[in-house]
Amino acid sequence: MGQIVPSMAPPPAPQQPRRRRDRLLRLLGGLALLVPLGGCTLGRELPNVVYLAIGANKDQLINAELKQEFQDQLLKVGARYRQIHPDTHFQFGVYPEDQMVEVMRQRSRSGLAPDLLLVNGDTALRLRQAGLVDPFPIRKDQLAIFNEEELGRLRSPDGRLAGLPLLVQTQLGCFNRQRLSEPPATLQELLNATANGHPMGLSLDLYYLFWIVGSTGALPAIDKAVLGQPLNPADRQALTGWLAWLQNASNQQRVTFFPDQPTAEAEFKAGRLDWIPCRSIVLRQLRRVMGNTLGVAPLPDGEGHRASPVNRLRVLALGRSSSAAGRRRALAFSFYSVNPLTQRTLTLGSSTVLPANRFVTVPVQSSQVLAAMVAAANQGLQANSLVTLVHTNDPRIPRLQSLLTQLVFGEASPNGATTELIRILQARP
Amino acid sequence: MKELLLEIFGWLGYLERPSVLLQLGLVIAVVLLTRRAQRRRWLQPLPQLAYAPVGILTLALGCGVLAGLGLPQGLASLLGLQWLGWYGISLLPKRLHQLESRLLRPAYLVGAALLLIREVDNFNDIAVIQLGELLGVAVSFGKLFNSLVVIYLVLVGCGPPAAGVAWLVQRSLGLSDGSRKAMELMLRYLVVGLGLVGVAMHLGINSTALIAVAGGLSVGLGFGVKEVFSNFVSGIWLLFEGSVRPGEVLMLDGDACEVRQLGLRATLLWRNRDNAELLIPNQTFFTTAATTYTASDRMRRSQVSISAAYHHDPAEVIALLEATALEVARVLPQPPPKALLLNYGDFAINYALRFWIANPMDNVGICSEVNQAIWQAFRQGGIEIPFPQQVQYPMAWPPEDHQSKQVNSI
Repeated sequence: MGQIVPSMAPPPAPQQPRRRRDRLLRLLGGLALLVPLGGCTLGRELPNVVYLAIGANKDQLINAELKQEFQDQLLKVGARYRQIHPDTHFQFGVYPEDQMVEVMRQRSRSGLAPDLLLVNGDTALRLRQAGLVDPFPIRKDQLAIFNEEELGRLRSPDGRLAGLPLLVQTQLGCFNRQRLSEPPATLQELLNATANGHPMGLSLDLYYLFWIVGSTGALPAIDKAVLGQPLNPADRQALTGWLAWLQNASNQQRVTFFPDQPTAEAEFKAGRLDWIPCRSIVLRQLRRVMGNTLGVAPLPDGEGHRASPVNRLRVLALGRSSSAAGRRRALAFSFYSVNPLTQRTLTLGSSTVLPANRFVTVPVQSSQVLAAMVAAANQGLQANSLVTLVHTNDPRIPRLQSLLTQLVFGEASPNGATTELIRILQARP
Repeated sequence: MKELLLEIFGWLGYLERPSVLLQLGLVIAVVLLTRRAQRRRWLQPLPQLAYAPVGILTLALGCGVLAGLGLPQGLASLLGLQWLGWYGISLLPKRLHQLESRLLRPAYLVGAALLLIREVDNFNDIAVIQLGELLGVAVSFGKLFNSLVVIYLVLVGCGPPAAGVAWLVQRSLGLSDGSRKAMELMLRYLVVGLGLVGVAMHLGINSTALIAVAGGLSVGLGFGVKEVFSNFVSGIWLLFEGSVRPGEVLMLDGDACEVRQLGLRATLLWRNRDNAELLIPNQTFFTTAATTYTASDRMRRSQVSISAAYHHDPAEVIALLEATALEVARVLPQPPPKALLLNYGDFAINYALRFWIANPMDNVGICSEVNQAIWQAFRQGGIEIPFPQQVQYPMAWPPEDHQSKQVNSI
C-alpha cells in the first residue's frame, strides 16, 4: 500500500517563530518601558534635576532673548552651585506671571509642578493662598538676613512665608546721554526738558505711572482710599493733583503716552525718545542696543515728595509635587541663592537687580547704575504697604487702567476722575 | 538642537516622583490588562470593540480612587482621555478612512503630544529654542513646527477644496471632465506652491537667499536630479497643454489606456485589457510620439476585417455589412458605418467594415459584438465565409519511382 502524504496541510513551522519573536519583542518593549521606572528607585540613572518655573511680567515678551537672559543668569549661579552639588541640572520654563496660578494648578493636579518658582512676591502669596506652593521652611535666625518689611509682604494669613526673597527689581528713569546731559530730578525738570525739545515717553500701564503718585504727594491719599478710610479735602486735592499732572503731561507736545511699556522701550532704543521710565531688568537689553549712551537715574521726585516706584520683589517658592530628593535639592539651591556671595555675584554680574539679603553691600560708589537702583529701592519702600494690599491681579487694576486712559485722552476731567478713582479703590474685591 | 534634546532629556527627572510613577503605572497596567483581556476574550459576551471602553472606565475608576486619596491624577486622566479620543476615531465610518488615516489620526497624535508636553513644560519656552540657521535666518523649534504642520495640512488638505472649486467651475463653464481634473490638479499645485512660499515667509527667509538657492539648485538639477526635475516640468507642461490629462485615452504598445492621474514624477495609466495600472515617467509623453483618441473628441473609428466567397455579389455583401454594423447598439449611427472591398485574396474577397464608437476604451468589446453580428447576418443571408482548403498527396522518393509505386499499388 502506498503511503498517504498530507498534501494540503498548511505549514505550521513559520508561524511558531514569528509568534515567539512577537512575544519577545513585546517583552523587550515592556522592559524598555520599565527600565526607567525601576531604575528611578536607585536614584542613579535619572538626572538630578531642579525644575524651575520663572514668572515673566506682562511687560516682558517671552522670546528667545528673554529665555537666553534667564539661562545666562541661571548658568552663572548654577555653575558655582554645581561645585558643591555636582550632577545637578536645572530646567526652567518661563510662564506669564498672571497665568501662574492656573498653570501651577494644572501641573500640581498631575504631580508635575516644578520644584521651585521664581515669581513676584504677590504671586507667591496668591499661590500660597490657593494651596499651590508649600510654606517656605526657614529658621528665625535665617530670616534675619532679610528686610522685615519685605518679609511682611510675603507672609500668608497664617503667618508663614510664601517664598524666600531673592532679588529686587527696581524702577528707574532711563535717558539718552547724548541728548540729555542731566536726567530730570523732579517732575518740573521733566516738563522743562520737554519744553526744551526733548521727547519723553510714558506708558499707559498703571505700573509705570504709579511713581508719579509719590512725586505728586498723593500716596497717603491712595493708601487711605485702599484701606477704606475717609478722605478729607486735602486728600482729594492730592489725588486730583496727580491726575491733573498726567493730563497736563499728555497735553505737552513732546510727551507721548504709549499703550504699553515694550512699545515705549522700542521707541527709546530707536533713539526717538530721550527719557522713559524703565525697569532695571531691561537695562541689559537697552545697554546692548544703546551702549554707553544709556543713562540711568532714579525717577523724578516732586516738590517735597519722593517718587513711589513699584519695585518688584522676586521670591523663590516651593512647588508641591517634588519628591523628597527634589525638595532637598530645591531647598539647598534656595539657601545657596541667598547667601551673601551668590547675592553679590547676582548683583554685580548683572547690574540689573539688587540683593534681597540686606547684609550684602552694594558698591554704589563704583557704579552709577547700582547707585540709582539703591536710590530707587529706597524710594519704593513707601509703596510697600500698598503693594501688599493691591496685588497685580486685583480686579480694580483694569478699571483704574481704563480710567487713566480716559483721563490721558481727555475723555475725563481730573476732578471727575478723582471721584471715580476713589470709588474704584474703596470697592474691595 | 542640543538645547532641545537637553530639554526633553530633562523631563525624565519627573520619573523620580512617586506620584508620577503611580499614575504611569496605573495607565500602563490598565492598557496591558485590556489588551490581554481582549486577546484572550476574558469577557466572553462582550464584542471586541467593547473592551477598550471597559479599560477606559477602569482607568477612570483608578483616577477617581487617586483623587479620593488626595493624590495627583491629572496625568493619568489626560492619558485616559486621549485613549478615549483615539477609540472614538476608530469608530468613524469606513468611508472616512482616508480622512482618518491622513488627517485625523496624525492631527490627533500631534495634539495629544502637545497636551502631554504642556503637562511638563511650557510651549512658548520650547518654541523659542533655536535649532540652527537656514539661509542666514535663525530657525526656532516653534517656527519649524508651525511650518511642518502647515506644509502637511496643505499637502493633505488641499485636495477636497481644489476638487470642489474645479467642480464649480466645470458646472458654470461647462468644461469636460478632463479639463476639470486638470484644473483640480493645477489648483492643488497652486495651493501647495503658495503654502511653501508662505512657509518660507513665515520662517523669514529673504528672497535674495531663495534666489541664490535656486541658482545653486539649477546647477545641481543639471547634473544630479535632472530626471526628476525633467519629469516634474514635463508633467506641468503636459497639464497646461492638455494632451495628457486625467481621463484622456492614449495608445501605449498597441493598447488603449486611460490616464488616471498625472503625478509630479509619473503618469498613472489604466489598461483595460488586464486591469493593469502603469506608471509611465512624464517625460516619455513629452519626448516621444503618442496616439490619443481624446484630443479633440472622444470618438474612435474602429474596423473589423471579414472575407466572403467569390460567388457573392460584393455590392450585396457591402450593404449587408453596413446594415449589420448599424444594428449593434454601441456603434454610432453618425458618422455612418462604411464597408469597403479591400482586395481579392487567394480564396476569398476581403472586406473591411469601418464604424465609429463613443468610448475608445470599449473598442475590443464592440469589435467582438460586430463580428458576432456579421456571422449571424452572413448565415441568414447565405453568405459563405470561405476558408483555405488543402489536398495532400503522398509521394515517393526519388520522383521517378512515384509512377511505378502508384501502378503497383493498383
